Amino acid sequence: MGNGIRERGWIPLLFLAPALIGLIVFRLAPIGIAIVGGFLQQTLRGETVFAGLANYLDLATDPVFWNSVRVTLLFNVLINPFQVVVALGLALLVFRPGPGVTFFRAAYFLPMCVSLAIVSVLWNILLDTQLGPVNGLLSALGLERQPFFRSESQALLTMIGIASWKGCGYWMMFLLAGLYAIPDDFHEAARIDGANAWQRFRYVTLPLMRRPILFVLIADTAINFLFFAPIYIITNGGPAGATDLLMFQAYQSAFAYLNHGRSLAISTILLVVIALFAVVEFRLFRSPSDA
Amino acid sequence: MTTRRALLGWMAGAALLATGGWATAVSAEQATLNALWMGWPEEQVDPLMDAFREAHPEITLNVERIPFAQIFQTIEVRLNARGPDPDIFIVDSPLTASYAVRGYLLDLTPHLDASRFTKAGLAAGTVDGKIYSAPFGSSSALLFYNKKLLAEAGIEPPSTDPAERWTWAELVDAAKKVAKPDQGIWGFVFEQAERPYQLLPLPMSLGAEMISADGLTATGYLDSAKSVEAFQFYQDLYQKEQVSPPGVFDNNLTFELFGTGKVGFFVGNPYDLVNLPNKYPDLEWGLAPHPYFVDGTPVTPTGAWHIGVNPNTDQMEAALTFIDFMMQDDTQRLWLSLRPYPPVLEAVWEAEADTTFADPGWGIVRHELAETARARPATPGWREYEDIMRLAIRDIQTGADVQATLTAAAERIDRELAKYR
Repeated sequence: MGNGIRERGWIPLLFLAPALIGLIVFRLAPIGIAIVGGFLQQTLRGETVFAGLANYLDLATDPVFWNSVRVTLLFNVLINPFQVVVALGLALLVFRPGPGVTFFRAAYFLPMCVSLAIVSVLWNILLDTQLGPVNGLLSALGLERQPFFRSESQALLTMIGIASWKGCGYWMMFLLAGLYAIPDDFHEAARIDGANAWQRFRYVTLPLMRRPILFVLIADTAINFLFFAPIYIITNGGPAGATDLLMFQAYQSAFAYLNHGRSLAISTILLVVIALFAVVEFRLFRSPSDA
Repeated sequence: MTTRRALLGWMAGAALLATGGWATAVSAEQATLNALWMGWPEEQVDPLMDAFREAHPEITLNVERIPFAQIFQTIEVRLNARGPDPDIFIVDSPLTASYAVRGYLLDLTPHLDASRFTKAGLAAGTVDGKIYSAPFGSSSALLFYNKKLLAEAGIEPPSTDPAERWTWAELVDAAKKVAKPDQGIWGFVFEQAERPYQLLPLPMSLGAEMISADGLTATGYLDSAKSVEAFQFYQDLYQKEQVSPPGVFDNNLTFELFGTGKVGFFVGNPYDLVNLPNKYPDLEWGLAPHPYFVDGTPVTPTGAWHIGVNPNTDQMEAALTFIDFMMQDDTQRLWLSLRPYPPVLEAVWEAEADTTFADPGWGIVRHELAETARARPATPGWREYEDIMRLAIRDIQTGADVQATLTAAAERIDRELAKYR
């Protein structure tokens, strides 16, 4: 029997092949290409030459890159905890069965079903300073019109707003599944011991939600570091660099400034930063029993 | 075991079918040309392409229409692959040098009769004495106005006579009378509100040079005092005077604003002479020459779409046939009737002198092309220049400090243009 399995060791691989090939072609190979490409440059005639650290040294002295690093970090430090807290809040709201709960679950999840490009176009119109309905409402209520995407101080926060409008319902689903995985006995035992609702949340729910929250936080971080479409569609990194995320700089470098080496160097830096963030988040949320 | 064999057999069969199908396609006699084209409305592209298909049934022509906002990125990605696809592509004339130095364009000098073209048209496609992009149109700018909005505001419309053209200050005064931002009525809008194409004539009108003579340095030019003055004027249109709609950058939207009667004055292109009545037949509009700064001279934009051949094409003969067809007088007359860019063939100007060009609007265009047209800065780095400047223009419109924004943009451009040194 043991021999048989060894002889046929390739059969499981065969079954895994479609997924593995996809993983290699669409994930690992591009990562490899980005890392290698970060050390290469293209001549005007399209020949690829080894550039050593030139792309990275160029970035190190580029004020636009450093502004972009600052904006990207600020964006992620704000958006990731915010989305996880909101998603957890939504999950708790629609967790217990009650009137209309199904409706609210669907309503919170619905924005996820709209493509990000369409979300961008819609919110760009909704939040337009002059013609947008949101500002129409504000001025009807006697409040001042807001510039939203056209203001250096509001643009990044507005981006966080629309990204969360779309994303939180999605992450809510994972956390909801996590909540359902907590056996009722635990809550019941706590209740018998006299724990109030807050204490049950703090000492029963939260510790047992550690893993789902960790998963959501890491996945959300990776996605938000790669946030791109609304920037491309709405602000082009502006006003005055206020929404100039690294992903947009990577895009601009390749397709507007015709500098593929720098674009891939930026992608590689992003990859390393995401990995670092994931490690930190993993450590923060590691349960004492895992240590 | 049998299942696995059946599976293998099925896969092999499928593979055979696939390769068999491919072989048939390759062995066909028909040459296939793939053209990357601007995303103009179908009715302005199809008749031209159909005329080619009719004249050359031996060539299968596939045309991909790409929207203006994506066309340059698309060309970059496709041509940078250095493969045979596309065989033909539309070239914005100021990008000719950029594409030529990077080997995206075949030298068309031996295939064109240079004497047939207007001087400006030919110059726009020429780099170092060689014609890399076949001239297919030029461009200019006109001041369109909405007769009804002007009458309501009690404004005497500007004259069609270039000698009596308005100054920018006169335009702003009139625009202020028209504008009612709270009702969504605006005084003035540039059709291409974020594009250096229509906006560089502002500093140029004040006498500013926008790049060094060798085309590789922007610092000291783009951020000169005159340039700052001109772009301060542009910012004031949106911030101080509030006659222009902020954040409306897409040229389809600006065109729509004017077409639907929401803007008093509009700087547009000669093709709007056809597009406006086609799309907004009820709009009553008039024409005047492009404004200028009183301290400067009139300057209008020019240059437009040319056609290029990918040197890596494996359909060279068919590609040159296409170029030859598009350079014929009749083809360019058809093109003029579909989407009127000022012609680049002398013969078309002559042939249509008493018909199309008898129109007073075209009289202005002819004057501008002869007297005031200035090409965009000549540089192999126009792609980078244009995009960096575009983002700077957005920031300026939003209210960013003009001097600081232009200085940063100039530094950025110099950084990117270093690769051409």
